[in-house]
Amino acid sequence: MKGNSRLGFILAIFAAVGCGSLAVVQAITAPAIAMQSQKALNESLRELFPDATSFEDISSSITSSSPAVKFEEAYLVKSAMAPLGVAIKASGSSYGGTAKLLVGVGLARSIAGVKVLELSDTAGLGMNAMSDAYYVDKANKITFPGQFKDKFITDSFEVKKDVVAITAATITSRSLTAIVKAASEAGAAWIESSAMAGAAPGGK
Amino acid sequence: MKKLWKIFNGGLVFENPLLVLMIGLCSSMAVTSTVSNGIGMGLSMTFVLLFSEIFVSAFRKIIPSSVRMPVFLIIIGGFTTIVDLVLKAYFPALSKSMGVFIPLIVVNCIIMGRVEAFSYKQSVLASIFDSFGMGLGYTWVLVGMSAFREVLGNGTFLGIQVMPQSYQPILFFILPPGGFLIFGLFIAFNIWNKNRLTRKAEAKENA
Repeated sequence: MKGNSRLGFILAIFAAVGCGSLAVVQAITAPAIAMQSQKALNESLRELFPDATSFEDISSSITSSSPAVKFEEAYLVKSAMAPLGVAIKASGSSYGGTAKLLVGVGLARSIAGVKVLELSDTAGLGMNAMSDAYYVDKANKITFPGQFKDKFITDSFEVKKDVVAITAATITSRSLTAIVKAASEAGAAWIESSAMAGAAPGGK
Repeated sequence: MKKLWKIFNGGLVFENPLLVLMIGLCSSMAVTSTVSNGIGMGLSMTFVLLFSEIFVSAFRKIIPSSVRMPVFLIIIGGFTTIVDLVLKAYFPALSKSMGVFIPLIVVNCIIMGRVEAFSYKQSVLASIFDSFGMGLGYTWVLVGMSAFREVLGNGTFLGIQVMPQSYQPILFFILPPGGFLIFGLFIAFNIWNKNRLTRKAEAKENA
């Protein structure tokens, strides 16, 4: 019994020292990490909305209606003059793990743009979704996420019908399309409800 | 010095973790579809292995053998998390491209295997040589495999097109079966190389 408590004590000391050093490293790196991710996010938001000047966090007021798609963050994107739309960082599972997309929804109920943030599918097949040099429409140089630009929320979003699939990567194409669909629907719904809420006092 | 060199060399050829000890195979098969992945995984794993071996070896006298496994896990997991945080904070681009491999390092059996079989019994200096040998032994196989797989399966090397445009990539090599085939050929090559080196050493002794 005495031996056991000694072992437990030694183990506890190792765990405590380990935790302590991790806490120190975390405290030192946390501000830098937050800054980096903010910077990366701003850059990708600007790619979808080139006129954007400021972003307002609306993550808490927007929820996914699809159980397979999770919304991590959501932003109301504004220019100097007026709101431009909503950008949602949504994740869902794809062929090789979790896929993360940034979906921008414009005020006109159409998609402002889609950007693939994270994907870990098969290189040469599903990963073509992230490539800037893989075109689903070679003549017009349109990439897989690029084809969603200006697409209407009310479209059917069916792979091989109104969405062009990546060759030999149907699962990737389908899962990414499902994420885009869920995010754009939620974004459009949010714009509609907030526009109505905003219109009431302004109308008087 | 000669002994230390032998330890280092062992990791590269005679006791290569992938081709001879056959540990850490899952990660090697998963990440070798592109060369940049192979390099990233190899180097980050070498880094974690180095520090885990140093610490385990330094504390080997005060780690009771009945709780050594949890202590090893704390050390390995702690270092992996530190690497992860530091990369995220100061090298975001590198962290982004290696993000998927960092969790894979914790479960890489080469680290657990070497810590348990080597540095728990050996000096810090020997452990440093062992971790470099094992780490680079792991890295060269990953880079070699991924070079074959990326060039044949995707027509590129480090993302740059090297095959003529008319070349139709053989997707088989990117997919798991191609990985196993290449891996088998690497084992065969290593056995041939090992026998060659052994014969050479014997001939030298006899002469």
